[in-house]
Amino acid sequence: MHPQLPPPMLRAAGLTMTYPAGATALAGLTVDVPAGSVGLVGANGAGKTTLFRLMLGLMQPTAGWLEVAGRGVAADPVGVRSRRGYMPEHDCLPLDQTASDIVATFGELAGLPPRAARQRASDVLDLAGLDEARFRPVGGFSTGMRQRTKLAQALVADPELVLLDEPTAGLDPVGREDMLDLVGRLAGFGISVLLATHLLDDVQRVCDHVVMIDRGHLVLAGPIDQLMQTTGLMRVEVGGRPGAVGALAAALAERGLEAEAVDDHNLDVDTSGHDEAVFDVVRDMVADLDLRLYSLSTRHRSLDDVFLQEAAR
Amino acid sequence: MTALPPTLTGAVYDRGYRPYQGMRGGRREATTALWRLSVRRALGLRRSWRQKVFPWTLLAITTVPAIVNVGVGYAIRDDPFEIPDFEFFTYREYVGVSTALLLFVALTAPDVVCPDRAQRVLPLLFARPLTGVDYVLAKVGAIATIVFGFGFLPHVVLFVGQMLVSDGALDYLTDNAAVLWQVPVSVALLALYYAAIGVALASLTDRRIVGGVAILGLALVTSTVAAIVTSAAGDDGSALDVLNVLALPLGVRDLVFLGHIGPDSGLSGVDGGGILAVGGYLVVLLSALALLFHRYREVDL
Repeated sequence: MHPQLPPPMLRAAGLTMTYPAGATALAGLTVDVPAGSVGLVGANGAGKTTLFRLMLGLMQPTAGWLEVAGRGVAADPVGVRSRRGYMPEHDCLPLDQTASDIVATFGELAGLPPRAARQRASDVLDLAGLDEARFRPVGGFSTGMRQRTKLAQALVADPELVLLDEPTAGLDPVGREDMLDLVGRLAGFGISVLLATHLLDDVQRVCDHVVMIDRGHLVLAGPIDQLMQTTGLMRVEVGGRPGAVGALAAALAERGLEAEAVDDHNLDVDTSGHDEAVFDVVRDMVADLDLRLYSLSTRHRSLDDVFLQEAAR
Repeated sequence: MTALPPTLTGAVYDRGYRPYQGMRGGRREATTALWRLSVRRALGLRRSWRQKVFPWTLLAITTVPAIVNVGVGYAIRDDPFEIPDFEFFTYREYVGVSTALLLFVALTAPDVVCPDRAQRVLPLLFARPLTGVDYVLAKVGAIATIVFGFGFLPHVVLFVGQMLVSDGALDYLTDNAAVLWQVPVSVALLALYYAAIGVALASLTDRRIVGGVAILGLALVTSTVAAIVTSAAGDDGSALDVLNVLALPLGVRDLVFLGHIGPDSGLSGVDGGGILAVGGYLVVLLSALALLFHRYREVDL
């Protein structure tokens, strides 16, 4: 018997949202995102907040279709929220209440009975690392403690999906590490995470997939490992005589391989469209030219490279 | 090294994360929870003692007249003419005459809605299974519930007290059976009206103090304007008394108790005064609710 796979986190087809004032926030977004930890990346105005609003059923799309965690949002836009958690970027906590009361309150508002909500609040505040402080008013909390409280209220009702908007915003390096550790653990608890952020390092660290949008359009979506592996570049480091890089580049050009000198010893060879045999070709060519081969490696990109390259297209 | 016996060794458990598999409600439960939490906040429960002082003091103030009435009734039960100038008030007069209820609304209605907007809690609330209509119903319902309680409880004290000091408790009960429905109905209509106006005005601002002043200001301005225009009409009532927004539910109260506008009303003697009172009541109530539904129809994340 096969274990049941969780439904995709997000499926959208032709999703379009045009506001009454005429601004189009999403323009025919079509994307299929599996359950797990997913980074939602885009500049300001890319459409991230609009996508969140649509996923929470707070407004209806102008056109297109949206399914979140296996449920069509249009069919029950309010009911689906009982299984969603949301952590906004901005301050959103009642400052005169204790963390314990706030988290229990939002548990009740998600439909949990009062006693269960209070028990769950205690559990998730433990998980978030707020021990004794939970009984103090949030108004006296540091930014990091407030962020933890916000995350705890998003988790209190055991959501199948949490939408996190810039969870590390305003945190110091230690607080950021702690928050990312916590977010990184959520998928292991069976909670899918959609992490909206400008910080691509955060996405690279805790997410399996990434969705990049720009001005309402999908830039790219896919597994992060795959995006960073498929660079199509080979870094070759050679020496042995002056002008070694230039000689190798010229020889490669004759074989139809495009190469670009990085410095006096390194050059990048565009290997896209070639199989692994291209490594042997380069190695043999270095030998034919009587050069010394110091290293030869696939160049790994960061998400920043991927984003900048795709956004430039 | 000696091993500790098993009974003395402890174990450290990483409880990790435990999924929730219990009951999970929807809109109705969420709305009920918001109502309950708002009632708790308005009464100062689970808050500092300073937040408790005002509501409970007002409850005491609204109850004092009933206690005095019953006390005097008890003191002169053998000689009704012992205090010849003492005027016992009727159940009708006791509905809505206390400004304590208005003060309570002016204090608590802004307290239950203004912080939600000022501290940007609304996006979190609306990320739960709640709609703007649910939010309005919960908030207005919470204030109305407390105003009803504070308005009704003194009547219970008055009724039970009068019954006990009367010559025959059963006779008193049968003679005054009508008030058993007239009081709750009229107090409920008053509570709903005060709550809707109070929450609607408070929803227009992020600042509690501004909301409270707006509520009291409405009462003061409309009653003053109505007094000026009706005084010009002489001793007779004037249809313009309908401008006195806070007197409208008292007109409705009169209809519940008497079937017509009472002699102490500004609409007394006006043709169709009852219809004016009910019409004005409905217009104000529905306008307040419409304003609220509009204010909370959509919330930015």
